[in-house]
Amino acid sequence: MKALTRSEPRLTLHLEEEQQLWREMLAGDVTAYEHLIDRTYDLLFHYGTKFNGDRELIKDCIQDVFLGVWEKRDALNPEIPPKPYLLASLRRRLHRLASRLRMDCMDYYNESDIVFDLEFTAEYQLIESENDRLLAARMTEMLNELPKRQKEAVFLRFYNDMEREEIALVMDIQPQSVSNLLQEAFKFIKSHWKAIVSLAWALSF
Amino acid sequence: MDRYRDFSLGEFVWDKSFRNWVLNPTREDDETWQNWLAANPDKREMVERARQLVLSIRPANASLSNPEKRKAVERIVERLESRSSDRSENSYSPWYTGRVVRFAAMLVLLVGFGWILWLRHQQPKVIGYDQLVAAANTEMRETVNTNAQPLAIDLEDGSRITLDPGSKVSYLAHFSIKPGGDGQGTTRREVYLSGKAFFDIAKDPARPFFVYANGLVTKVLGTSFTVRSFANEQEVSVAVKTGKVAVYSREDPEATEKQSSRELTGMVIEPNQQVVFVRKTVKITKSLVPEPEVIADAGPAPHFEFDEAPVSTVFSALQSAYGIDIIYDKNVMDECPITATLTEMSLYEKLDLICKAVDASYKSIDGRIVVEGKGCRNN
Repeated sequence: MKALTRSEPRLTLHLEEEQQLWREMLAGDVTAYEHLIDRTYDLLFHYGTKFNGDRELIKDCIQDVFLGVWEKRDALNPEIPPKPYLLASLRRRLHRLASRLRMDCMDYYNESDIVFDLEFTAEYQLIESENDRLLAARMTEMLNELPKRQKEAVFLRFYNDMEREEIALVMDIQPQSVSNLLQEAFKFIKSHWKAIVSLAWALSF
Repeated sequence: MDRYRDFSLGEFVWDKSFRNWVLNPTREDDETWQNWLAANPDKREMVERARQLVLSIRPANASLSNPEKRKAVERIVERLESRSSDRSENSYSPWYTGRVVRFAAMLVLLVGFGWILWLRHQQPKVIGYDQLVAAANTEMRETVNTNAQPLAIDLEDGSRITLDPGSKVSYLAHFSIKPGGDGQGTTRREVYLSGKAFFDIAKDPARPFFVYANGLVTKVLGTSFTVRSFANEQEVSVAVKTGKVAVYSREDPEATEKQSSRELTGMVIEPNQQVVFVRKTVKITKSLVPEPEVIADAGPAPHFEFDEAPVSTVFSALQSAYGIDIIYDKNVMDECPITATLTEMSLYEKLDLICKAVDASYKSIDGRIVVEGKGCRNN
């Protein structure tokens, strides 16, 4: 584990940079604000499109999130991690929007419009062996069959490098619920695919 | 790193540190893993397979191009800057609560809205005869033609107004005396019209003659012309018989300047031309009168008989008889000889005939005639 601890500072540095931008932004620094938007925009956009396919709507929501952050920057905690906070704000906003739309036109929008909808795909040309291509196909299939909330937890954990507490913040649930979601997700995959064994490490937070 | 010794393929795929190295490699990470692989060469194959799987299986992301992202980010910052400029103002006066500032802003907005509404309300107001006469603020003599025949009114300066049935004019009983004091008031002859009238104005360059017809002002030095301006019609028109008149809208920002000038400024119309003023849009367009007539001061009655005459001769005869510009390409058209007797025809009939003979066409544009033809070289 010695080598691993050497790589930890980098990760902390990376996160520390974001935290620093967040602090400067809350203190009224517009340059830091712009940097922070630039750094987190892709993540927010991709996350947003998992809830709603309307690109312009997502962009508008992200804009509202950031303008909202700036407006109440005096009241915000400079020590909370910015990424999960921003994702959570976006998520709340999209949900509010969807429930409003649902009220306006009863039949047109239904529950499925506001849930996380993510499709995993496999780029087979990146894989050399035929055997592993089958493996990838199988794995993708399993991931896509995951219940939506588990899928969202997996997405945030493994594709956006988030900790349990951060995922809890974004999804507005208890950290224990996040662990449960992830455990269930891998139980599901394992039960279908015996070749993937012992995923304990991935789940040990 | 020792724990990786016993990792299965699946464990590698879902290990966060491993994934970080694959997906977002940094120099330190790379060094760490290359060292580990050097120490564990038997794991090299599994690590490579896991690496490929991690890279291959991804969430399908909507594409977001860099320029698109850049634009979105800039939009947020721009919005912010336009907001914060309001904010910084009240931060200098901390004893003012935000509520007071907000209230003031609301008040400003309301006043602004009110003003805009008022402006909108004002704009479409079309100026009519009654308001004009009332605004003139001097004692007027009004003549209304209730007969079925046109009524002739002789003014003291020698001008004559022929008033159509159902029309009325207001004018000063004595043009020369107008209480103004500065002497300016005495130099004007002014008439207000509702309906249709033909004006034959005595020449007096020192005292321009003005006809106010709804929103349109007609200024002349000495000419004859017709003004049509009924209260219930959306258009005001002025058609000139002889001489020149200038017209402009009362809404014209330079209206007072045009009024006091000794020259005819504004849109100048000449014989056989007319202008139509659309009251609602305050737009003036110039065109030819529907039936142009030979102008009176063109000398002895012109004769329109041509024998193998070049087109340019025919056109210039028409031009001087009707006082209308005829525009055509002399180089192209002059090859076409005309033999015709065009007397007893209206201008348009004459033009139809000529154009038919030389294979051309004409249009009336902006009070002038434009002739287009390919010439007759091949005929």
